Order: sequence, then C-alpha cells, then structure tokens
Amino acid sequence: MYQVKNINKNYNDLKVLEDISVDFPKNQTTCILGPSGCGKTTLLNILVGTTNKDGGEVIGFEEDISFVFQEDRLIPWKNVSSNIELVLKGKMDKEQIETTIDKYLKLVNLGEYKYFYPKDLSGGMRQRISILRAFAYPSKLLIMDEPFKSLDINNKQILVDFFKELRTMESRTCIIVTHDIDEALALGHRIVILSDKPTKVKRVIELNECKDDFINLREVIEKDVTKCSYKENII
Amino acid sequence: MKKSILKDRKLYMISITISITIWFLLSRIINNEIIFPTIMSTYTSLIDIIMSPNFLIIIGYSILRSLLGFIISLLLALVIGILSSMFKSVYYLVSPVTRFLNSVPTIAIIILALIWLNSEMVPMFVGFVMVFPILYETVLKAIINTEKSIIEMANIYKVDKLTVIKDIYIPSIFISLSNIFSSTLGINLKMVIAGEVLSQPKYAIGSNLQLQRMYLNTSGVFAWILIILLIAKLFEYILEGIKCLCIKSKI
Repeated sequence: MYQVKNINKNYNDLKVLEDISVDFPKNQTTCILGPSGCGKTTLLNILVGTTNKDGGEVIGFEEDISFVFQEDRLIPWKNVSSNIELVLKGKMDKEQIETTIDKYLKLVNLGEYKYFYPKDLSGGMRQRISILRAFAYPSKLLIMDEPFKSLDINNKQILVDFFKELRTMESRTCIIVTHDIDEALALGHRIVILSDKPTKVKRVIELNECKDDFINLREVIEKDVTKCSYKENII
Repeated sequence: MKKSILKDRKLYMISITISITIWFLLSRIINNEIIFPTIMSTYTSLIDIIMSPNFLIIIGYSILRSLLGFIISLLLALVIGILSSMFKSVYYLVSPVTRFLNSVPTIAIIILALIWLNSEMVPMFVGFVMVFPILYETVLKAIINTEKSIIEMANIYKVDKLTVIKDIYIPSIFISLSNIFSSTLGINLKMVIAGEVLSQPKYAIGSNLQLQRMYLNTSGVFAWILIILLIAKLFEYILEGIKCLCIKSKI
C-alpha cells in the first residue's frame, strides 16, 4: 500500500495542502479530482520528491516510479525507440531494452512508429508514446498528471482507451490527477475529491461499490467540485 | 518546394547579374584602374594569382590558421562553457574576460597581439578574440536553456547523470552551435585575414592583399577578395555536408 499521511504544504503565507491523508491500494487506479489550482500537481511533486513537504509522511514512494506529464516531454532529437531507451538505460541490458521496446510497441500496434521523431507525430500520438514509455519503465507505480489535458475530445477518448488497454495487460498501481469528472469516472477504481485551498480531502469514493449509479455519482461529484470552484471565484 | 528553390535560384542569379552590371558600369564611369578596376583586369589578376607557384601554399596556410584558430576557440568554449554552467566561480571568473573581449575595440586587441605574439600567432589570436565569446555564450545558453521539463523527466525516471549529459545536454549544445557555425566560421576567416594584413606572416592571403595595396594593384585586391569569397562559400558547403551527415547518422 502506498500512503500519504497528514501532508502539509505552504507557499509563504498561503496554505496549499492541509492534512492530506490518502491510501493508494496496490494494483488499483486512484484518481485525484479537484478544482484547477487547488494543489493537485504540488501533491504529486511531493510524492515523487521534486517538491519538499512542510509536514507529514510519504510512505512507499521510494521505489522506481513511472510518470506521465501533462505534456509528452519527449526529446526532440531522439526517435520513439531512443526516447523509451533513455529511461530504460541502467535498468536492464541492451538486448533486454530492445526486446522491451519492441514488445510494448507491438502490444499497442505502434511498431511502425519506432523510428519516428516527435516532430513527425501528432500531439495525441506523442502523448501515447509518453504513456508507453511509462509502462515500459520497470516500476510498480504509475503516476499521471492530467495526461489528457492538452488533447481534443477525440484524441482524449483514444488515449483513455489506450491507457485502459495497457492497464489490463499489466496491473499497476496508478495515481491519476485530473479535474475532469468523466475522466476520473472512466479510469478510476477510487476517486479522491480535494477541496479548494487550503486543500483537504473532501471525499473518497470507491467506484467498485457503486457501479450502477454513475449518473447520481457524477452529480454528487460535480456538486463537490463546483462548490470548490464557486468558492474560488468568490474569493 | 522544388518550385520555390528554383525561384530562389533565379532571384540569386538575377542579383549576381545586377551586381556584375553595376561593377561594369562603375568601372566604365570611373575609368581609373587604380580606384576601381574593370572586370577584365580583375580576371587577369585572378589568373595571375592562381598561376603563381605559391598560390596553394598561401591559401593553405590561411585556411589552416583559420581552422586551427576556430577549433581552439570551439574546444575552449565547450570546456569553459560546461565548467561555467557547473561552477559559479568559473562563470564569474570568465565573465569579465568575455565582457572585455566584447566591448574593447578589436583593433586595440590586435595592436596588443602584435606586441605580444609572433606574426604566425597574431591572425589566429585575432580570430579567437572575435569568435570565442560568441561560441562560449552559445554553449552556456544552450546548457541553461535545455528544457527544464526534460531534465525533470530524466530525474524522475532516475536516468543517470552521465546519460543526461551525453544524451540531453551535449546534443542540445551542438544543435545551438550548428545554428551559428557557418556565421562564426565566416567571421573567423575575415578576422584571421585582417590579422594577417597587420602581422604579415610569410604565406598568407592578408600579406598578399597588403602587397597588392602597396603596389596600388587594386585589381589584385579585388581578385583576392573573390578568392576569399570562394573559400567562405567552400566552408559553408563543407559545413552543410557535415550537418547532413550528422542528421543521416541521427546524432
């Protein structure tokens, strides 16, 4: 089990995160849902250690972590194969790297793009490669920070399906940050709703338990999230 | 695409034709070989220069000085640029030197070089003085501006430092440098020849330019200018070739 306990974070006088405690069950997808600017990315950065916390505990995140960013973050002068190879170097030998890259590219029928450069790929395709890179990386934990944010609706659906396809092939513990309710409902086993600043955990919903009542659930979540946004607008 | 290249070539040919026509007309109007030589006399001087026994040695030495100076500048810019980005102390140590080289008139540095160095070294030093600050700044900026997001990605995926340097920083430096290679190589050649004019090494294009000036052989000066233009163009083609090779071998 991956856990965070009583995480606090301030930026000068601004309290961003207040007593955030969340469990991330193994091999399940936890979606962190909250209004824009509430500190979701800050929480992720604390999990991976790129931002320091002011208090609290982060448990189980010391191991190797795969990460999908809002942007593809592919290296422009490296082709698809070399981009994936970069993160695998040092984790396995050269032959194994080659086999892993081929295996994952074939798994999702992207073998023909192996030697394509990022500039020759569409935005959606680049993000697919970024997700593929995360899955090819030998880790048990995958963190995604609004990975479909910059995509149009068609590409978003393609990538959601792409992610689901990869997830069914390989079980991983996934943490996805999003502000899109439908995305959270489509991808998560659990949804953690965050309030607005100072950000606290407002509600945790187990989706496995309430599969049939998605419409009602959506309304409840929407109310929770829009309340936060409304409060944000008034301030 | 092909159409546009053909159109560009056509325009280029038109501009050359116009330049030659202006040259022809001006030489006719001025009608004085010493002030403005005709195309014919320049051509005759050009043939004389090319046929002279030392021609290849002269241009060989000038090209060698230019290339050697440029390679030294490039290597020093790479080493010092990388060190400056790693250690603030190196950056602050080099900063006044580059600022000095950038702001002090080049002729003042040439005069100092004439006092301090022998005639063979002066042209290379003059080229270095002009080109080093540009190359150094480019290397430094390339390292500083390497996308932070990519470095952050590499850190999260625990990519080792050596791979980050080899696969991210170095290509980033070379991509930035490749954009200014052609212009800096051109500047370097010009400065080396200017240095040769003043320091008068035995075999040098600059020394010969000065010789033609002393004999008031303006057509000879024009002929040497044409040779310098051809050498600059040759450098450009070689660089383009190297660039194409690098792209082909996916560096």
